Amino acid sequence: MIELQHIYKWINSGGNRTFLLKDINLSIAEGDFISIMGPSGSGKSTLLNVMGMLDEPSEGQYVFMGDDVFKMKEKQRSNLYKQHIGFVFQAYHLIDELTVYENIETPLLYQDIKGAERKAIVADMLDRFQIVGKKDLFPAQLSGGQQQLVGVARALVAKPKLLLADEPTGNLNSKQGEEIMELFKKINEEDGVTIVQVTHSEKNAAYGSRIIHLLDGRIESTQ
Amino acid sequence: MFTNYFKIAWRYLLKTKLYALVNILGLALGMTSCLLIGIYIFNELSFDHFNKNANRIVRATMDYNSGDAPNTTAMTGTKVGPQFKRTFPQVEAYVRTIKYPRVIGYKDKVFDEKRFLYADPAFFNVFSFKLLNGNAATVLDAPDKIVLTQSMSKKYFGDENPIGKTVTVGIKQLIVSGIAADAPNNSQIKFDFVSSFMGFSSAKEEKWWEANYITYLLLHNASDIPVLQKQVAGYMKTVSRDELKMTGANNYLTYHLEPFLKVHLYSSLEGLEPNNNILYIYILGIVAILILLIACVNYTNLSTAQAAGRSAEVGMRKVMGAGKMQVFYQFICESFLLTLIAVITGVVLSLILLPYFNQLSGQELTTGVLFHPVTIISLLLLAIIVAFMAGAYPAIVLSNGKIIQVLKSGFNFTGGSTLRKTLIVFQFTISIFLIIATIVILQQLSYVRNKDLGYDKEHILVLPVDRKMSPDYDAIRAAIASAPNVVSVAGAYETPTDIGWGDGMHKGTGDNEKSVTVNAFPVDEHIVKTLGLRIIAGSDYTNADVQQFDTSNGGENLHYTYMLNESAVKALGWTPQEAIGKTITKGRSGVVKAVIKDFHLHSFHEPINPLVVFLDKRMVLSMFVKISGKDVQSTLNSLQKVWKQRVTHRPFDYHFLDEEYDAMYKTEQRTAGVFTTFASLAILLACLGLFALTAYTMVQRTKEIGIRKVLGATIPDILSLVSKDFLKLVILALVIAVPVGYYATNKWLDNFSYKISITPWVFIIAGLATIIIAFITISAQAIKTAMANPVKSLRTE
Repeated sequence: MIELQHIYKWINSGGNRTFLLKDINLSIAEGDFISIMGPSGSGKSTLLNVMGMLDEPSEGQYVFMGDDVFKMKEKQRSNLYKQHIGFVFQAYHLIDELTVYENIETPLLYQDIKGAERKAIVADMLDRFQIVGKKDLFPAQLSGGQQQLVGVARALVAKPKLLLADEPTGNLNSKQGEEIMELFKKINEEDGVTIVQVTHSEKNAAYGSRIIHLLDGRIESTQ
Repeated sequence: MFTNYFKIAWRYLLKTKLYALVNILGLALGMTSCLLIGIYIFNELSFDHFNKNANRIVRATMDYNSGDAPNTTAMTGTKVGPQFKRTFPQVEAYVRTIKYPRVIGYKDKVFDEKRFLYADPAFFNVFSFKLLNGNAATVLDAPDKIVLTQSMSKKYFGDENPIGKTVTVGIKQLIVSGIAADAPNNSQIKFDFVSSFMGFSSAKEEKWWEANYITYLLLHNASDIPVLQKQVAGYMKTVSRDELKMTGANNYLTYHLEPFLKVHLYSSLEGLEPNNNILYIYILGIVAILILLIACVNYTNLSTAQAAGRSAEVGMRKVMGAGKMQVFYQFICESFLLTLIAVITGVVLSLILLPYFNQLSGQELTTGVLFHPVTIISLLLLAIIVAFMAGAYPAIVLSNGKIIQVLKSGFNFTGGSTLRKTLIVFQFTISIFLIIATIVILQQLSYVRNKDLGYDKEHILVLPVDRKMSPDYDAIRAAIASAPNVVSVAGAYETPTDIGWGDGMHKGTGDNEKSVTVNAFPVDEHIVKTLGLRIIAGSDYTNADVQQFDTSNGGENLHYTYMLNESAVKALGWTPQEAIGKTITKGRSGVVKAVIKDFHLHSFHEPINPLVVFLDKRMVLSMFVKISGKDVQSTLNSLQKVWKQRVTHRPFDYHFLDEEYDAMYKTEQRTAGVFTTFASLAILLACLGLFALTAYTMVQRTKEIGIRKVLGATIPDILSLVSKDFLKLVILALVIAVPVGYYATNKWLDNFSYKISITPWVFIIAGLATIIIAFITISAQAIKTAMANPVKSLRTE
């Protein structure tokens, strides 16, 4: 599904070139559950952002579902991304001014899905995540775990093939974190959604089928 | 989709109430001022346009030189109209008018009426004043006919039908021949009554001189004007030479034809009603546009500052698949919603404030123009443009930004900061300029009000005297003088505030003759004492001078007793002491009895002219009653009692001399009022702008300030750090505004012959006031950030 070849990313500061990613070669098959680990500054988030097309590498090739991403036009890429990728963040990034329902609905709005269909999909999602009772609340009225639950629901509402999660449990206590991880596992197994998560926790990483260790921008080991 | 946009816009607005309020109010206030000024300008530009013949009407104004200097006046003699119609085929009709206060009576109702007009029979044909009753061609065709306006008909007749009824005008009986609709507010001719010109006794004979009338000519074609103008010049040369026997090389009399529609805004010559100046219209127009521009710029600035704090949301939306255009539309929608609210608030505010604006500007403007389709469409257009301006910048920046960059809350708008600073300087320049102008205008007004005029204007009542009262003048005067609290009573032709009687006087004969153009002031013997005039040589009038006034034998032996002011003495080439006892002639010869100190006989716009005062009680038309100032109300009551006993034919209609004096500066007072208002508004808007920019900068510098605080900076340290940059901008504005303000206010003061000199204090006060206000505005924002717990601001990273 994902084919990364010789990915480099660097920034120039004061004449020095600092590498964020160095010669990353990685292939991920559909249905994989990958955990990326590594110390701070090792390039975990950068790698995730490159995979999510939020960021561009300085060099290298990225093939996503058979398409060469960096040879695509902006619009095609954004369509590809819209349809196939969902994102979950450590800080949830829910929109404060929208209710739970509206937050989950938003990605569908951007995909021009008709009102009735949208309603059905969102209702289904609320039901699945057992947050029907919270649909009219605003993010500020929810606990962190509940917010992240909404964040995951929002990321999945458009039925993506790939879910990218940047420390999804980083702001949560262990019990809440466990719930999210269980959820991820279920999604991966039952719906066949490919998941790539960045995490600091060995325990959470263990949910994945493969763990990739990064150090100073390179893949140190895979297990 | 759009409902979603509006929904979030509305929620956002509710969440940031203060910002939204400040933002909307700022724009609304800008719109309100723009609308109010717009209504005013529209009214001024619409002057006289209701006349169907407006393009074909001209006002004849007189250019002449009868010996001393060239003169122009809107006043003409009685001959111009009829003679031009007889001579030039292009002239279709003429209307001569004169405004003349009269006492009108019907049954027990008697009032002093100021807006009484005499006009030629063609009046209602030439001008488009609506006649509700009566035939335009005949309502004024006989000397005893009079037309009332609707409101006057109500005032005198109530529900009665006035047509054919008789009203008393002065000592005559006139028959009501028609009812006219009230004259429109935007007309250079306003009236409550129009009576036939034939009924005006001193206008029976056709004369070139004795210019007291405004003459309008109706031409067959508007295109005739330039040709006719040339023909008039040629014709008047012949008239001056052959008919008027004007011999001097420089002497001439001719007429200029002013297009009717140019009178109100382009003519320097006042006619029946005060004119305006197109320059003021331009200045106001520019001020309106500037204020609107400032408001829009502020609005954009505030919105941008707001949007900067929303980059995380935009980032998230893009992560969820929002396209560039979708983010763009969202911001535009929000902006449009806010703008729409502001526009509606602006319109509502205009409606509420219009009466106050009318009071301030002395207008009777109506809101009708607000609901004109053109106004509504341009308002909507404006809203769209402003919404676009305010929404587009953050929309473009945020929608174009790299997602990952936008997503991190540290995203900032680096571009456009020079532009923004320039705009702040620009706003403050305008504010400071307006403050300087306001201070100077107020200072000049206070100077005008407080300067020693050379006569007393306090506690002096002015009462009318007419021909019916003249024979009993001494008795009436004595009766009034004996009322309690009356200090003294005197009479004169007119009030000393603005002496209009122009005349000529000369000394000597033959080669030694020297003539001078003067103002003339016929008085009774009590005038010096009552008005507090100061004699610097010679002595006051006495009863002996009155006895000497010999009207027997048809006035054959009549001689005047004169007083001259210093300027007149100087013009004749004497010292005050030399003048005493000398003989001069103004119509009749007489001896100079005293020289009085120059007093202001016109408004401060004009220099003090030579003045000749002469004793002639027959000319008295105004009586001045100096009262002690104690117990004014009971004094007035007792005066009224005396008046009612002595004068039965007219009401006790008085005013105070100082009110009359103040009224001369109405235009300046209004200008001061308008300037004060808009200066306050401009500074308010400028502060809003500063507030926005500070808020915006604070958002960007939150992290920096957090770090500084961790490193030990105190709140005052941070305050000075933040305010320094902004105060620099204000000081730059000051540097620009001061010379411009100095130049402009000096230009304005040039209108006055007597004026203040501008001191540096004006600029110091304007500058300090602005800096203090700016500093408070900045601090209000900065302190909030400076006080915040640094841990919080740093954690967001």
